[in-house]
Amino acid sequence: MRTAAILGYGAVPVGIYQRVKDGSDPPLEHELAAKVVLDAVAMAGLGKHDLDGVVVAHPGDHTKQGYFHTFLTAYLGLTSHSTVMQVLGNGMTAGLAFDEGLRLVGTGETDCVVVIAAHYESGTPTADHLDYSIRLTGDVDFQSIFGAVPIAWYAMVARRYMHDFGVTRAQIAEVAVKNRRQAVLNPLAQYRTPITLDDVLAQRMIVEPLGLLEVPGRADGAVALVIVSEERARRSGRPHVLVRSRGFYHEGQHQIADRPVDMTDYQSIRLATTAAMQRAGVTLDDIGSFQVYAPCTIVEVVATESMGLFPRGTGWAAAADGRSAFDGTRPVNTSGGHLSRGHPPEATPLYDVVEACLQVLGRAGDRQVANGRLGMTVSELGNYNAAIAHILEGRP
Amino acid sequence: MTVDITRMPILQRAGRRPFPPRVSAFTRPFWDALSDGRLMTTSCARCQRLSFPPKPVCRECWSQDFTWRALEPRGVLYSFTRVHVVPRAFVADGLYDIGIVDLTDGVRLMCRLMGDATQFAPDASVEMMVLTYDDGPLFAARPVASLP
Repeated sequence: MRTAAILGYGAVPVGIYQRVKDGSDPPLEHELAAKVVLDAVAMAGLGKHDLDGVVVAHPGDHTKQGYFHTFLTAYLGLTSHSTVMQVLGNGMTAGLAFDEGLRLVGTGETDCVVVIAAHYESGTPTADHLDYSIRLTGDVDFQSIFGAVPIAWYAMVARRYMHDFGVTRAQIAEVAVKNRRQAVLNPLAQYRTPITLDDVLAQRMIVEPLGLLEVPGRADGAVALVIVSEERARRSGRPHVLVRSRGFYHEGQHQIADRPVDMTDYQSIRLATTAAMQRAGVTLDDIGSFQVYAPCTIVEVVATESMGLFPRGTGWAAAADGRSAFDGTRPVNTSGGHLSRGHPPEATPLYDVVEACLQVLGRAGDRQVANGRLGMTVSELGNYNAAIAHILEGRP
Repeated sequence: MTVDITRMPILQRAGRRPFPPRVSAFTRPFWDALSDGRLMTTSCARCQRLSFPPKPVCRECWSQDFTWRALEPRGVLYSFTRVHVVPRAFVADGLYDIGIVDLTDGVRLMCRLMGDATQFAPDASVEMMVLTYDDGPLFAARPVASLP
């Protein structure tokens, strides 16, 4: 496999686009998708005829336009000898779309591919959306029947973590405050008003012990990446981001194992990130920023502990004392993460790739990490039953 | 008189199940036994591994030979949550509690929690029970301390 590089990216701020508001006509999903593709291609210094391949993160059921990949390819007047496809993989959907784009270039099947995610869901009321999503995160005949909404699983991880490590909800909630502080500095973020710990704790409960600001809000978004071979990226003379390695692991479970295991330890993220680091020949200490899939406060805590960034039982403290902030020693979710940058699920991992690009290229502005030439992205599916990790290197 | 330790208490519930399970020819024995107050599952005839939910294929050794057996309907609560923002299908239930239960037989499952919510705690002892709706049963757990 040859090395692939990100030569261009485009993204709209995460927000509410699909929901009809008084006095405004909302943009359609493919209108946003087209805009971000053109932005990414322009950044790459390329034109439409340079693209040979379209990989789309499969939009959820609430994006009205079906067969979105082929529709969008036609909408943009693209043709391809390599592939036009959609990729689906739960929360990992866009992470796998990114991975597929890298593979198409890495194998030499194509030299230039565009990876696109356009997630629309805010027009669907939350209760209706949950009727759909309980079918995703559980056995529909033995678990969904009890109304296990997706974040209910994380809430149960939180309750157990609090018990096992003697930690309070308020301590875990420090993650929301830390991430909001970073989102304030991110123009792509959905929530940019500073918040305090008291603000977080004062919100209504969503899934106990997690309240409104400890779980992701509803969000839409669109992102595109242009991926080319390393050689082509170098020839362009433009800033680009090399993808040094990947790692993947699926633990063979769907939400929970059918026998007792420790749910406060995500082995899939440990194995996926370890594999990626071994392949790149680097360690955690070499990496300047970590974009980790974490829809809830507790998930960032458990995921970062599981991958070895912080000792077990202390991930929350890293947020409280700033170690996991952009200006700390182990910067995590410098965009503001799912909680504040926002979480349009099928697009979220590509937003994280954009944030990683900004950090490794030294373009992250006021939230720029120090020593940030290498960055890591991770996405997951289900209750972290699987994880995929990539290590990115900036060539500013 | 012998006591059947696999028999669960049955609680009648008004109305229909909010999000009813499907029943296949294979899973029929599970749901029929549940209606009768027993929590059944499959045990692999080759490696003896218990499955939950029941499966016609052992996920460990892939044997398709299995026997049905009743689980002892007791265990401990691994974790739990109260769901405040609920799916449309569950709106009539208001807020509801769900939890992950580790049965004494070594099986982990997720189900509705009933009884005194102040007794919900990690590692609390629970017993399984049956909720009988107009259209069929569901299984649930409740803290042992909330027994009458």
